Amino acid sequence: MADKIKLFVNEVEVEVEAGKNLIDAIGAVGIEIPHLCYHPALGADGNCRMCLVGIKDGRPPLVPACKTRAMEGMKVLLDAEHIKKIQHDVMEFELINHPIDCPVCDQAGECKLQDYYMSYDQQGSRMTVPQVTKGKKLDFGSGVIHDQERCVVCGRCVRFCRQITKTGELGAINRSDDTRINIFPGRPLNNRYALNVVDLCPVGAMTSSDFRFKQRVWFLKKAPDICHGCAKGCNITIDHNRQKYEDDIIYRFRPLFNEQVNGYFMCDEGRLSYKQENNGRLTEARTSNNPRSINEILAASTKEIERAEKIVIALSPNCSLEQMVTVKALSDKLGATLTGYSEGYIKQGDGDDYLIQDDKSANRAGLHLLKIDNSLNTFENAMQEADLLLNFNNELTLSFEKRELSRLLNDTKVIAVTSHDTPLTAMADMAIPVASYSEYAGSVVNSDNILQSFGKAITKNIDLDDISIIAAKLGSPLQTPAERFAALQQIISALNEFEPDKIPAEGLNLNNSEAANVTA
Amino acid sequence: MSDRSQLISTGKPFQYDQERDAEFERLVKRYPMRESMILPALWLIQEQEGWVSQEAIAYAADRIGTFASKVYEAATFYTMYHLQPMGENHICICRTLSCWLRGKQEIVDYLENEIGIKPGQISKNGKFSLEEVECLGHCGTAPVVQVNGEFHEDMSMDKLKSLLATLK
Repeated sequence: MADKIKLFVNEVEVEVEAGKNLIDAIGAVGIEIPHLCYHPALGADGNCRMCLVGIKDGRPPLVPACKTRAMEGMKVLLDAEHIKKIQHDVMEFELINHPIDCPVCDQAGECKLQDYYMSYDQQGSRMTVPQVTKGKKLDFGSGVIHDQERCVVCGRCVRFCRQITKTGELGAINRSDDTRINIFPGRPLNNRYALNVVDLCPVGAMTSSDFRFKQRVWFLKKAPDICHGCAKGCNITIDHNRQKYEDDIIYRFRPLFNEQVNGYFMCDEGRLSYKQENNGRLTEARTSNNPRSINEILAASTKEIERAEKIVIALSPNCSLEQMVTVKALSDKLGATLTGYSEGYIKQGDGDDYLIQDDKSANRAGLHLLKIDNSLNTFENAMQEADLLLNFNNELTLSFEKRELSRLLNDTKVIAVTSHDTPLTAMADMAIPVASYSEYAGSVVNSDNILQSFGKAITKNIDLDDISIIAAKLGSPLQTPAERFAALQQIISALNEFEPDKIPAEGLNLNNSEAANVTA
Repeated sequence: MSDRSQLISTGKPFQYDQERDAEFERLVKRYPMRESMILPALWLIQEQEGWVSQEAIAYAADRIGTFASKVYEAATFYTMYHLQPMGENHICICRTLSCWLRGKQEIVDYLENEIGIKPGQISKNGKFSLEEVECLGHCGTAPVVQVNGEFHEDMSMDKLKSLLATLK
């Protein structure tokens, strides 16, 4: 833990973390200092002047909190008349040329200008001269739409592109009240993290072409989750809503801060992967592509499993640890060959040195932890003799050409337990629909060996079972969540310290404990 | 201030001539960071072409090895960079204190009348453009007029008339 210091805010003593600036230090204990341009990931720019505070130690009457480090015994003034006056005045400046188009603005409801107007301004316009007009709905590329009139020129987007992605597409053009954010002609936003500028924008100047005009943000329900787009496991907020008479639909993913995984950001591909949770889903059980009830197919599957002599069970590297351990127990009971072979999930060379990983699956490290074989050899050899393939959401068409896959599956019955209606589902003799990751709780281990838990974010109208429940129904000895967690505790010693559902939000770093475990 | 964000494209790639190329390489050694070359690089462009085009900004950015957006920022921030072609004779009249007190307005009024344009405009035939500028550093010999970078000091109406005659 960081050192603590004591200081005074409006003459009340508070204990805060040392070494931070006033916005972060005091903000962490629930006292907000208004600010537009400062962002912890982008540093203090000091251009918006919204965070001016007073400090009673003989320095000038107003100092920017973003550039002032919290010190022991500091006397910070937030509610003095001259501070309220400056906040009021800065807001008046910010709003001089603002179009006030909140009724059609996507940011309404999560807009700093709106919030600060209500908290610090609350006055009518005194302007008698015409407003400065600027560019509207400019397409900056990468799905970012910009409105120069709504912009407060805090420069967060400019700094993001220069400091984080180092692509520098954006600039603050002109000067004084004509300043506007723009791209250089012919050089649009062209990086894989561009949509983060939409989150960073404190006002409605940057909007996402994918999300704009879809939902008012105050209707959206928010649920924390883990992105399953690659092995990084970025923390996300799922914004979803069930409109009257409709199903629960996900409208967007936004990055959720986790210092040891993704910081404040996520990649665009992962952000837009919410669509795969909404679309292309398998919702009905099928046999030979004819719909049946799930119970009928489960009964038929149980019969097939009893009849079969050589069973291969394939697991997706996206499955949660709980699902893997349940399926593994089922496999052990049946004497089946268990494989996690999924080479097709890896896009060699696609990753970068920031967040994006080559491996497009969320829990390959989990396969390794549970010692589940993932070699091609084992899979192919086992398939030679198998008369039943029980596939848990492993999209084999990613790893094999269709013709090769047909050859492998020849003379083999295929039961596909699957969340999506994929080419493999079409090839299967029986298909059982299951929940996708936004619809179940579980834990995954990312590429840095950090174990992260996530809850059930979405409840669909048809609330499908997840893979561990289906595996239990097919006879896995691990019938309850408690049994599954206990089985995981046997394998992952770091879990012994925790109750189920009590794994810390920032994740468990397994590097130390598990390395020790393996050598012992 | 006005909006200077609309750059003009010539449709042709830009390149320094031999002399400016050498000057660029001479200057770049002066600075610990290549980005410091943004302003000098823009000056060299303006010296060569008389104005700064979209292609020239892209050229400068690539030559320096910085983001085009940064050079775009600098070029639009400083009004001394011309982002459109100026007149064949670009006349700058100093409007800072000494020149103002010594009668710059008379000069401006005369030129406006003779050429038929206001400061900030370009004559229709492209021969003249007028601009009022800040201190040119020749206060001791005010008022001062600059034609295509060349100084004409201690301007009187007589001197101005004969100067204009040589330009027409």
